[in-house]
Amino acid sequence: MWDQVGQTLHESTVRVLSRMAWLLPGTLALVVAVLVSALIAWLAAIVLRRFLGGIDFDERLGRWGFRAVAQWSPHESPSLMVTRLVSWSIVLVGFILGLAAFDAALSSRLAFSLFSYLPNVLTAILLIIVGGIVARYLARNILIAGVNMHLQYARFLSIGVKWMVMVLAVAMALEHLRIGSGIVRLAFGILFGGIVLALALAVGLGSKNLVSRSLERESDRAAAANAEEPFRHI
Amino acid sequence: MADPVGMEQIDKADVAIGLVPASHDGGEISAAVERILQSSPPTKTVLIHPPYAANGQKPLSPNSQWHLLAHAQLAQDRATLAQSLGASYQAVFDLALKLGVRACAVIASDLASVTADWAPLLLEPATDNGFDLVAPCYARHRFEGLINRAIVYPLVRALYGKQIRNPLGPDVGVSSGLMRRMTIASRSRMHPLVSLAAEAITGGMKVCQSHLGARGYPPPDWADVSSLLAQVLSPLFLDVERYAPYWQRERESQPVQEFGRHRYVEGPESAVEVTRLIETFQLGARNLPEIWGLILPPSTLVELQRLARQDRAGFRLPDETWARVVYDFALAHRLRPISRDQILRAMTPIYLGWVASYALEVESASPEAVEARLEKLCLAYESARPYLVSRWRWPDRFNP
Repeated sequence: MWDQVGQTLHESTVRVLSRMAWLLPGTLALVVAVLVSALIAWLAAIVLRRFLGGIDFDERLGRWGFRAVAQWSPHESPSLMVTRLVSWSIVLVGFILGLAAFDAALSSRLAFSLFSYLPNVLTAILLIIVGGIVARYLARNILIAGVNMHLQYARFLSIGVKWMVMVLAVAMALEHLRIGSGIVRLAFGILFGGIVLALALAVGLGSKNLVSRSLERESDRAAAANAEEPFRHI
Repeated sequence: MADPVGMEQIDKADVAIGLVPASHDGGEISAAVERILQSSPPTKTVLIHPPYAANGQKPLSPNSQWHLLAHAQLAQDRATLAQSLGASYQAVFDLALKLGVRACAVIASDLASVTADWAPLLLEPATDNGFDLVAPCYARHRFEGLINRAIVYPLVRALYGKQIRNPLGPDVGVSSGLMRRMTIASRSRMHPLVSLAAEAITGGMKVCQSHLGARGYPPPDWADVSSLLAQVLSPLFLDVERYAPYWQRERESQPVQEFGRHRYVEGPESAVEVTRLIETFQLGARNLPEIWGLILPPSTLVELQRLARQDRAGFRLPDETWARVVYDFALAHRLRPISRDQILRAMTPIYLGWVASYALEVESASPEAVEARLEKLCLAYESARPYLVSRWRWPDRFNP
């Protein structure tokens, strides 16, 4: 019986060691691939940073009307963002190449699932970028119009609209990424419904008198200003 | 577009007058047409007017030099004032050129204030003295035409070098040469009214102004100041961009020849209420510093924030600061750090701040003192012109 136990142990040890010996070149290849890709990424980042600095990329982007990109970039530098994007993409490609060294079937399955997920990631990124631009544009418009209409709560309105649009964009992006879609949908529905209900209650019931007094006061002031105004702008 | 009804009966004409009324009231248009027809022009004159029901209007005598032509496109829309005026002026110019006239007058003020001598005052300098542009001068009290006083007149004077009191009319006399220029230029999105003065001056044409007397206005609309400002300034700032090579050359402003009699109108005698104007400026200074920061340099922002802390007694916006603010907004309109409409509307609180400061300064001033005050503002614009030239050429490097 001890012979059988010894043989089984020997066989399992051989199996584990041979498995490790089979994995070792792959692991080494992964490490080498990542290190090489990191080196290439570092060199590419240096070249790209110098090139973008040489052509005044940050300023050009502003002149082309993409100033919002700077606000979203690390240290408000779009060149830095492009450089980081390129270098991390090279490292990612190196990592995928390293994985291929383990098992061709595994790597092809991984590559397939990665590439099939990529359109969702790109759509989500696009949604967040467009949402951010639309949110900022609307917020600015409402802030300027609110100030020109002499509304004391212009900033509050502007921030509210900005975050509503951003929340909508993020919810749509998460839906595309298939991350907690049910929870996100439910949370978004509750949040939006809650806001609308709160506004309806404020205007319709709870603050009816307050809102009507405020509206009356505002229209009275505008009418009085119109009547007494001696200024002619044109 | 098809020719208006009656065009085929008029072969050629010597001069034309176009009516572009703000009102759609047929009775008012009819009364204005009757007043204009009271004068007896020496040569064949066509009066182009919008269609109206001519109830009770006397028919023209067969020997009259007058010919009437109805054109459906002549109208003002307050929601899109600049576009509707531009389209109407272009329609009048096209028709006048088809008729082969020597000169044309366009009248767009409130028709109730139009008198019989407006047409000769706008046409004769062009037909008899060879002027290409006859700009109007109105008898106004100190709180009328404020956008013109604050921005348009000083800016046009400082940049193009001619002291035209109302560069944007709207009542003007134009020679056939200038009309032809404007018709060709309209293909490059030039505004047929706003660009008239700039095009005439930069083209080396002869410019003068006629004193027309008092002018009627539509009732004020508080909520509309920002859209009014945007509609007036957008084509004006486009011209600043278009004619940049011209105004970057050094030159001093010159007076232009004047026709008619200079008149003043007394303003309101009671103290003016500027609290709301100051409050709007202060609200803007509290809420819009991020947006103003994209347009104005830090030194101007600091001055505006300092002004926002002043009470009514100390509320004065220095002319130099105001001139720089206008120049910075013109530059921002070119660079577009944000949308152009947002840039122009964000200027409203600062403009209202200027109105409050000006109103407090001239509240009990005589007409002569108001003129002197306006002259001081114009000189501030002229002395700040090198600032605009530097900012225009090096917007990133020259940012005081």
